[in-house]
Amino acid sequence: MAGFRDRTAVAGVGYTRFSKDSGVSTLTLACEAILAALDDAGLTADDVDGLATHRVGDSAAPSVVGPALGIREPAWHLDQFGGGSVSHAVIGQAALAVAAGVARTVVCYRAINARSEFRMGGTGRALPVSPEVQYQAPYGYVAPPQQYAMFARAHMTKYGTKEEHFGQLAVRQRASAVKNPRALMRTPITLDDYLASRWIAEPFRLLDCCLETDGACALVVTSAERARDLRRPPVLISAAAWGGGDSFLSGGGGDVTVTAAAEMAPRLYRQAGLGPAEIDVAEIYDCFTYSVIVQLEDYGFCAKGEGGPYAASGAGVPVNTHGGFLSEGYVHGINHVAEAVSQLRGEAGDRQVDGAQVALSTAQPGYILPATSALILRKG
Amino acid sequence: MRPVTDRDSAAWWERVRAGEFVLQRCDSCGTRRFPARAYCHRCRTAGWSWEPVEPAGRIESWIVSHQPFLPGVREPYVVVMVRLADASECVMYGNWRCEEPPRAGRRVEAVFTAVDDGLTLIDWRPAG
Repeated sequence: MAGFRDRTAVAGVGYTRFSKDSGVSTLTLACEAILAALDDAGLTADDVDGLATHRVGDSAAPSVVGPALGIREPAWHLDQFGGGSVSHAVIGQAALAVAAGVARTVVCYRAINARSEFRMGGTGRALPVSPEVQYQAPYGYVAPPQQYAMFARAHMTKYGTKEEHFGQLAVRQRASAVKNPRALMRTPITLDDYLASRWIAEPFRLLDCCLETDGACALVVTSAERARDLRRPPVLISAAAWGGGDSFLSGGGGDVTVTAAAEMAPRLYRQAGLGPAEIDVAEIYDCFTYSVIVQLEDYGFCAKGEGGPYAASGAGVPVNTHGGFLSEGYVHGINHVAEAVSQLRGEAGDRQVDGAQVALSTAQPGYILPATSALILRKG
Repeated sequence: MRPVTDRDSAAWWERVRAGEFVLQRCDSCGTRRFPARAYCHRCRTAGWSWEPVEPAGRIESWIVSHQPFLPGVREPYVVVMVRLADASECVMYGNWRCEEPPRAGRRVEAVFTAVDDGLTLIDWRPAG
């Protein structure tokens, strides 16, 4: 895979404001974030020849966004069905299209009104992601926080992971969000606040769960060579990997404390030519506190079973420096990549990790569907 | 919420309605599988038969759901994940039919809960 490593780059990043009620369509959010990302890169919509997104029937497709921005001739586009597990695959696909010469400038975006229009699992409606939903929905098992709570409990049972480990992680991510002007939640919390927050699905409390956010984020992907001539310091895409694994929805599968990321991670690191010890900052998909803990294990930052104490201590790799979905906002994966870019550009302000050269950014690790994806980015 | 069955699963739901606890057994390699689907994930052949198995397993995990995800359901309820005694690769979910809270590793047995004439669900309680 040396033929892929560092050949493409993220050249621009754009956001809308994050809120609980955007008051506008996902098309409007997408356009605003895309234009902001292009401006960041020093480009315009006339330079764009590719668009890519992921969605679950809840947002504007490239075939809608393209004409809305007057992009007349998209050479390549991707409208990926799926949730958080495919969030990083979309950017990986865009990088492949650029590396292959099929497209020159691809904008990856995710626009979502996850609070005011389409609440995931919050409407009593199960997402039609898999035929396996029929074996759970009749029992009132319909929402991601319930599913992740089930696996979190298994990890607690097997390894002695404690609710205080979840709580300390939530407290630390909030402390990072306090330093992030974009973040929705900027009031510090304590472990007592965590323990006092109401139950959602035991063992998860409210503060174990990500926010439901209205907002959009966009990234400009182009060749590394071209990115060097653009406005901002390039951030190279060193590796992009996709993974699968067992389905734990209903059938198949062995150890429920191991995710699809465990099998994929060695492939990702091999592609980048480095290992977890070389990662300076890790933006880890935090739909729930537990998803961070299990990924710290499965991406090799600590041994299996030690993710709870590792995450609680805060002594290891800096994690979710923007506050994550728990405290910055939930843009379904892409805002983790955007934060990694900010860190590698050295422009993360009060939350900057000194000397950050290499970042890991990860997707939902694969419990809800047996799939995941991740990127390793490097300062250009 | 009623299950939305499909062409792979409808016959399994019919068996449940008749009070049968069955899995598919691959005619070629003998692997048991759930949920229902046409091909064996191990040997990739298509021949299979229904096989009655022990309606029992052990609790792998459980949750107590408080947030009212379902319209009209305000009271907390317990969902268990059960690893089947006769098929260690297969798990099933269901509601917990016991006052005492679940415990990981506890042996449990299936309870057939008739919702109406057209639908029966599988729930779980401690093994007798």
